[in-house]
Order: sequence, then C-alpha cells, then structure tokens
Amino acid sequence: MSQHDRTHHAKIATGKGDPQCFKGTAGPAKFKVGQTVRIKDLPDVFYTRCQVYTRGAVGQVAVVTHESPAPEDEAWGHVDHSEWFYIVRFKQKDLWPEYPAAFANDTLQTEFSERWLEAV
Amino acid sequence: MVEEVSDFEALEIAVRELAIEKGLFTAEDHRRFTEFAEHIGPTPAARMVAKAWLDPEYKKQCLTDAIKASLAVGVDWLNPTGFGTPSDYTDLRVLEDTPTLHHVVVCTLCSCYPRPILGFQPEWYRTPNYRRRLVRWPRPVLAEFGLQLPPEVEIRVEDSNQKCRFIVMPVRPAGTEGWTEDQLTEIVTRDCLIGVALPRPGMTTNIPLPVHKPAKPGHH
Repeated sequence: MSQHDRTHHAKIATGKGDPQCFKGTAGPAKFKVGQTVRIKDLPDVFYTRCQVYTRGAVGQVAVVTHESPAPEDEAWGHVDHSEWFYIVRFKQKDLWPEYPAAFANDTLQTEFSERWLEAV
Repeated sequence: MVEEVSDFEALEIAVRELAIEKGLFTAEDHRRFTEFAEHIGPTPAARMVAKAWLDPEYKKQCLTDAIKASLAVGVDWLNPTGFGTPSDYTDLRVLEDTPTLHHVVVCTLCSCYPRPILGFQPEWYRTPNYRRRLVRWPRPVLAEFGLQLPPEVEIRVEDSNQKCRFIVMPVRPAGTEGWTEDQLTEIVTRDCLIGVALPRPGMTTNIPLPVHKPAKPGHH
C-alpha cells in the first residue's frame, strides 16, 4: 500500500486556491518586468511545460505572475520547493525564422518557472 | 461527441470508479460536479467585459485582480461549486486589446482554458491542429476564423502553458454607443473572449467552422 497522501493538494488549496496556496514560499524573485532573458535548453525527463519552440530564444519579462512548484517537480508530487513564474514576451520573428517580415510587430507570450530563465 | 468509448473515456471511468471506491469523493459529488461543469458557459466572462466597457473602475479591477472581479459576475473561483476544491487553477488574467494590439489565446501543451468563467473549450481549441499552428502562423489561422487584421495591429499570441488562465477583453466596437450592459454582453461571444473574433453589433453567436473529414484519419 502506498503511503502517499492523495488529499494533500485538497488540504492546501481549499479556500485559498492554487497557486495562492504557495504564496511566500519561493523567496525573492530573480528577474523583474522588462528584463531581457534567454530560455535555457535544459534536458527534460518524463515531464515539462517548457515548450521546445522557446528553447534558446531571447525575450523580455512581461509579468511576474506567482509562486508555485515547477511542473517538472509537481508531476512527481514534489511540492516542497517553489519558484517564481514569469510571462515572457517574444518577437515572433525571434521564434520562427520564416515569420513574415511584414508582420514584424507580432509577439507571443508564454510562461516559465525561474529555472528556465537566464539573464542576458 | 465520439460514437464509441475511446481509450481516454475508459481511463476516466476506471479512475473515477477507483476514486469513489477509495472514498476520495462520492458518486453524488461527481454527479453534482458534472452538473455544475456542464452548466457554465461564456456568459459570466462576456458580462465581465461588458461591465468593464461601461465602468473604468471595474475595468481596472479586471486588469489587476481578475479573480476578485469575477465575483461581480457571479463566479467564485475559490469555491465555484459550493463544495470541495477550486475546479481549476485560480490565477485569471484579462488581456486588454487596444486599436493596435490584438490578443489570442491557445494552450499548445494541452487545452488550458478558464473553465469556471468560460465553460468548456470548443472542440477546435483542443485540437493539435489549432494548438500547433496558432503559435507559428497566427494570421493564417485567424483568417480561417474570418478575422484579418492589418500589419499595424500587433497580434500577440498568449500560450497558456502554466497555471495562469486568460480571457481577451476586446475593444468596444463602434455602433454600440448608449448600449446597456445586457446588450453589450450579447455581442461578446466565446470566440471574442478567446480572441479568434472581434465583437460587432448584431453578431451574437460564434461563426460555425466548416469541418472537413480527414483524407487519412489519424489518432492523437
């Protein structure tokens, strides 16, 4: 019989919500809005929510969103370590080399946990 | 709807029955939750946008604390069903369009969607076709929905890949001067809230998409 507590998440999230239940657990945020960052190309085992199309790309932090365990940990039930999350804005032409020059203003935003970002 | 039980449906039934046997929730809890989930639609989110168009203070709240702003349209993200845990992650963000910026939402990894305020995803939102193509070719995909925007308008794709959930707040269209909140709510369709359409007077339903049968059916 597994000793894993399957009601753990319900206990911490009821009445507070998730990610609010992890508020105050990640320490100071490493990056700030407007900062230029590069997405690391880390290996991922079994599970990640960092899209391959963003690996190595450079963008700007648009929003510092919330604190939460990273999905790569949470997928295994490890929720003791939280990280800050960031919505990063990219120019589409920096993600897709063939993106039409006529639409050079177009952008894309997506979110990363802190481990995926490095200052440029 | 699928005509036969798929592998995923069989898996859902198995997990549900095991959870009930184990006492994690009861069959009655499941029935009540299903009833709740199937009754929510895009109307609360549409009303949120209509209210924000009419009330600048409320709009400010939508843009800074959308979870709190949801209460004014009858959606309590923290306790949406009146029992149990929240039914989704609870970090809603409202993306404000301007005359030179248009947002459109996708989840490339699965089909993350602000269900407590917008109901279930349309089938196309869940397809790999929409998810894979929108991030890379947003303009051709939007054109398939009948939405073509000039190059001066920046298209910003929001890939909803973590715990944040998103709705688009479009620009209030011309021709709606003096309209009431109810009238405005009617033209903010689900497609407008995802960002694949723009609201316009007289348009109160989503445009049906043509569905083509695949030449070589595959599995995903």
